[in-house]
Amino acid sequence: MLSLWLGAYDQGLAYAGLALGTYLTLRVLNFPDLTVDGSFALGGGTAAMLISRGTAVPLALGVAILFGCLAGLVTGLIHTRLGVNDLFAGILTTTGLYSITLRLMGRSNIPLPETPAGIQALPDLGLGLDGRWAVGLTLAMLGLILLISLLMATDVGLALRALGDNPTMARANGINQRRGLTVGIAAANGLVALAGALVAMYQGFADVTMGIGSLILGLGMVIIGESVLRPRSVPWALLAVALGAILFRTMIAIALQLGLEPVDLKLATALLLLVALAFGRLRIPGLSDHGRLQR
Amino acid sequence: MSSPAQGLCAPGLSIEDLSWGHPLPGSGWRQLFRSFSLTCPLGQFVVLIGSNGSGKSTLLNLVAGTLPDASGRIHLGGRPLQRLRDHQRARWIGRVMQNPLEGTCPGLTVAENLRLAERRHRPAFLASGALLGALGGLHPNGADRRRYRELLGDLGLPLADRLDEPVGQLSGGQRQTLSLVMATLGSPDLLLLDEHTAALDPRAEATVMELTNRLIRQLGTTALMVTHSLEQALGHGDRLVMLHDGRPIGDWSAAEREALDPRSLRAMYGAATVKEAPCTVPDGSPAP
Repeated sequence: MLSLWLGAYDQGLAYAGLALGTYLTLRVLNFPDLTVDGSFALGGGTAAMLISRGTAVPLALGVAILFGCLAGLVTGLIHTRLGVNDLFAGILTTTGLYSITLRLMGRSNIPLPETPAGIQALPDLGLGLDGRWAVGLTLAMLGLILLISLLMATDVGLALRALGDNPTMARANGINQRRGLTVGIAAANGLVALAGALVAMYQGFADVTMGIGSLILGLGMVIIGESVLRPRSVPWALLAVALGAILFRTMIAIALQLGLEPVDLKLATALLLLVALAFGRLRIPGLSDHGRLQR
Repeated sequence: MSSPAQGLCAPGLSIEDLSWGHPLPGSGWRQLFRSFSLTCPLGQFVVLIGSNGSGKSTLLNLVAGTLPDASGRIHLGGRPLQRLRDHQRARWIGRVMQNPLEGTCPGLTVAENLRLAERRHRPAFLASGALLGALGGLHPNGADRRRYRELLGDLGLPLADRLDEPVGQLSGGQRQTLSLVMATLGSPDLLLLDEHTAALDPRAEATVMELTNRLIRQLGTTALMVTHSLEQALGHGDRLVMLHDGRPIGDWSAAEREALDPRSLRAMYGAATVKEAPCTVPDGSPAP
């Protein structure tokens, strides 16, 4: 039973980058970014391809993040320079990314049977391999949250938050909306790609379809985290989102334990999110309306 | 009535030969400004009044650079505003919007809003490649807070004690006060006030107008204020300009305004308000 909870904890932390990226685009930038479905798989596929060819894990993770940033950059440029609708810009990039990821991987699935040496070197806390993963992922996520918190407290972070909060005012204060949005979307997709890479390493394989439904997963994690902690500052919001990722994976573990078929997981997730969008406090620009539509 | 160009032109605001129009539904075209000129010497506080559609807010938008495709010349302190990019223009122009929600970031704290406004007078961030330089330092920090507390305290504003509150929790009057302070941070060369008290109750309106006058005098900033209120037009500013259909139909110095019979001004304003603006070109072609 302990391994079930520990596994959910580890998976939640591996997915936390997805939740953080979703938070950054939706909550900070007010931009519904569908690129995440593609950049999650791109990150996983890139890392798996590089690690399977003997590349050092940190370098493979770095390249995965870089590729994720590039994917976000493309979406940002399509939206800000070509004037394509935000949702459609993400769909275009994600569609293209499927082929790119498949090209990079060379096949649809790459196994990663070996646990990275960096994880094996960590203390296991008497919990075996999952304990080692828990230590490694906890340290990595805390470091990541600290780094993002610091970045969001700089003038650049303040500018990004202003862009999402009031673009008119941000522009009147000399913030370049196009550049800010593009930088923010790129950074968010870098985080999502990192999550894809960590998930691939943790589960021991990468699949070209592993990104399907990532935006919905990320949204679910953000909602749960915000509902539990009700954060009022950026660092707390980031912690809440990471906690949301853990709780989300824990809920999935419980659902599976109670007899939910794995094949029904995505349907259950989508229905849960629909309920939250329709009746809950969740208001996402472009995804849900503040009031009822006029008839 | 004095001539539209009062006093010395440079280095204040100079609008010369401005033309601008916009398409109408269907194939029509409305030419709002035709060879419009207005010169405001440095430090002059100009009040613009006129009916809806007379071009007051449009003029402010053209000066602020938020409306494209204007022909003519707009100079501020000798700088051609139309050639400047957003972040360059933001260094010289402060603006207060009509809606208190528009001029501030409601999700950010008072101190964070002030930091944003203060930052526009420093090397551009997210604007000219100075990204790495902008990463240095966390803000708003203790020194920032002390500076803002002192600034707001000197102005006698209770916001000094609410630096860490989200602006969304402030009243409309407090938000507009903050917006005004933000717009004047760094002593901009030009202050644009677009019916900035229209959404406020009389008490908040009086507070904001008192602060507006004080800041403009203290900083010696050239200011353009748009209003629909005759009381404001008669009680504030160094000069009153009445617009109708993109043309100045009245231009009075403060002394001339004092001598004006308010009833005749009211009648003039009322007549301008009820007139229609016949400006559609039948063939729909954009008139020069």
